[in-house]
Amino acid sequence: MTAISPATLLELYESMVTMKLWDQTALRLLQEGRVLAGYHSGRGQEAIPAGGVAPLRRDDYLMYAHRGFGYTIAKGMSLAAMFGDLMANTAGATGGLGAGIPHFADPELGILGQGGTLGSCFGIATGAAFSAKYRGTDQVVVCFFGDGTANRGAFHESVNAAAAWKLPVVWICENNGYAVSVPVAESTAGRIVDRAVGYGMPGVRIDGMDVTEVYRATCEAVDRARAGEGPTLIEAMCHRFRGHYEGDPQVYRTEEETERLSALDPITNLAARLVADGIATEERLGELEVGVQDTIDRAVEEASSAPMPGPERIYEGLYV
Amino acid sequence: MSQATATRTLTFSQAIREALAEEMKRDDRVFVWGEDVAVYGGIYGATAGLLEEFGPERVIDTPISETMIVGAAVGAAITGLRPVAELQSSGYFGIAMDELYHKVARWRYMHGGVFTVPLVIRLPEGAKGAGPEHDVSPEALFLSASGAYVVIPSDPADALGLMKSSIRDDNPVLFFEHAGLYAHRGEVPSGDHLVPLGQAAVKREGSDVTVIAWSRMVGESLRAAEQLEAEGIDVEVVDPRGLRPLDLDTILESVAKTGRVVIAHEAPKTGGAGGEVAAIIAEEALEYLESPIIRVASADVPIPQSRYLQQFLIPTAASVTEAVRRLD
Ligand SMILES: Cc1ncc(C[n+]2csc(CCOP(=O)(O)OP(=O)(O)O)c2C)c(N)n1
Ligand SMILES: [Mg+2]
Repeated sequence: MTAISPATLLELYESMVTMKLWDQTALRLLQEGRVLAGYHSGRGQEAIPAGGVAPLRRDDYLMYAHRGFGYTIAKGMSLAAMFGDLMANTAGATGGLGAGIPHFADPELGILGQGGTLGSCFGIATGAAFSAKYRGTDQVVVCFFGDGTANRGAFHESVNAAAAWKLPVVWICENNGYAVSVPVAESTAGRIVDRAVGYGMPGVRIDGMDVTEVYRATCEAVDRARAGEGPTLIEAMCHRFRGHYEGDPQVYRTEEETERLSALDPITNLAARLVADGIATEERLGELEVGVQDTIDRAVEEASSAPMPGPERIYEGLYV
Repeated sequence: MSQATATRTLTFSQAIREALAEEMKRDDRVFVWGEDVAVYGGIYGATAGLLEEFGPERVIDTPISETMIVGAAVGAAITGLRPVAELQSSGYFGIAMDELYHKVARWRYMHGGVFTVPLVIRLPEGAKGAGPEHDVSPEALFLSASGAYVVIPSDPADALGLMKSSIRDDNPVLFFEHAGLYAHRGEVPSGDHLVPLGQAAVKREGSDVTVIAWSRMVGESLRAAEQLEAEGIDVEVVDPRGLRPLDLDTILESVAKTGRVVIAHEAPKTGGAGGEVAAIIAEEALEYLESPIIRVASADVPIPQSRYLQQFLIPTAASVTEAVRRLD
């Protein structure tokens, strides 16, 4: 296994801290009544979007999931634009159309959007990968989805075609053990990673709470895809710290279970490692966090000053 | 529409094939995929020879995976290609409905208009003796799928010209082809024949009655008009050539002229697009009407597989003639 450079480790750390502070800020805006829709916190799962997006080039494609905003933060989407979409005002990438659960995109950054119907990502990822191959580029698609989403029929159709055609896709399943309230064991036969065998492609199950594992597995899969060797399935085992959505009473799991989760925090665990390995001091990590919070605060401020859209907005962007 | 310029005779199916070939030649972002479209040339022959001409990179046999066929076409379209995807039957719409209704039609809108989704989904429809699931004409299901165009040719010239325009258009197009028309022959203008989307065709001029018909019912209505002419009734046949964009001007102009309306389509009457067209005419042109609007459509039953039984519920020229005679 190749070592990850200290600089990359720090970048991955900063990326995860941005996601965490973004999440905190979004929760505050939600409490203040400034978010016009629901929000699915990604707290606890930051290692997966951080480690799964970092290996991508700017022109690689991203299909992101609904769990937090980490995927698009990592791909470089404007924070102010995302806050604008959260607040449904004209600073948003959708110009006031989206709210909360994001449906924004940025073609310049290869961010291809998200469907509200779970599993929309599969076909679109296969199509984008086909497109990259057709156009003779070496672009790669990374597609994130939850364990629950993996049970959509669209998974089979799209993953099969991508494997049959050796398309450059990396399928990353975030297995956090639940689809809203339903535990994986009750809904899912076998291990999700084992499906890779059936499609004749490599599959790996990794610790999705460890950003270095996610980063390494994704680098390997991206390299393979870029070299024309086809898709890979990564099953990243993880834990969701908060409810499925804000306000979820979580009657399906015990308080004991949720209390045990904080010990698994991918961000504090990486911080401890960085300090223990002499890569950064606690002081430096503290400064980094202050800097990130400052960036986020400025993005919120920028987004907050934008007006709400007018009624004409509903007719815009439908037809060319 | 025959023109003074040179024409050639093509079947409806050859016209589709010709349109695909011409546009693939013109723009290398255009590709074709679906079940049996490559080596086999499509079960209706509408992609015959394209594999030989354009190669396996651009003419692709897919697995039997309608969700993927449509969903991945969207993925290809938002990343710079111009897919023409075929569902072997429009009866499989349900397998791909989320993709058709939400992804094809709404991906651009819901993401704030940052993408275009330039694709065509080919949807063979209509009665042909293949049973209730295959023989549907489901275009009306997409009336509420704002964001997607609904285009429906009724003869080879329109099939060619509308397909070429659909491929060039940056909006997504659901392109319905009646399976019973594929073998029909017709004159097709030579050269780069384009029919603009959203422009109705007055297939026959008349002053007494307006028959609004599309797909196979256009030919049936023209036959009905000939017969009615002998009875001294002058029928105008208006083919909207699709449901979105809908050319209201041409429809309303004709209604204002004749004051009598029959709407003919093969889909069952209840839930068919005739209801929508009738409602628009009632809203916009009631003062011109001298008689109630009559809809000619299939009976509200699943279409039986037996061709023998189909004759009792599929509308024909005789159904149109009978409806026109019932008008005040
Ligand atoms: C097709 C579809 N079915 C149901 C839903 C409602 N829904 C939204 S999120 C969710 C759970 C998804 O679980 P999973 O894929 O494991 O992701 P997680 O929320 O755990 O991150 C459900 C059922 C939906 N949006 N789309
Ligand atoms: Mg889950």
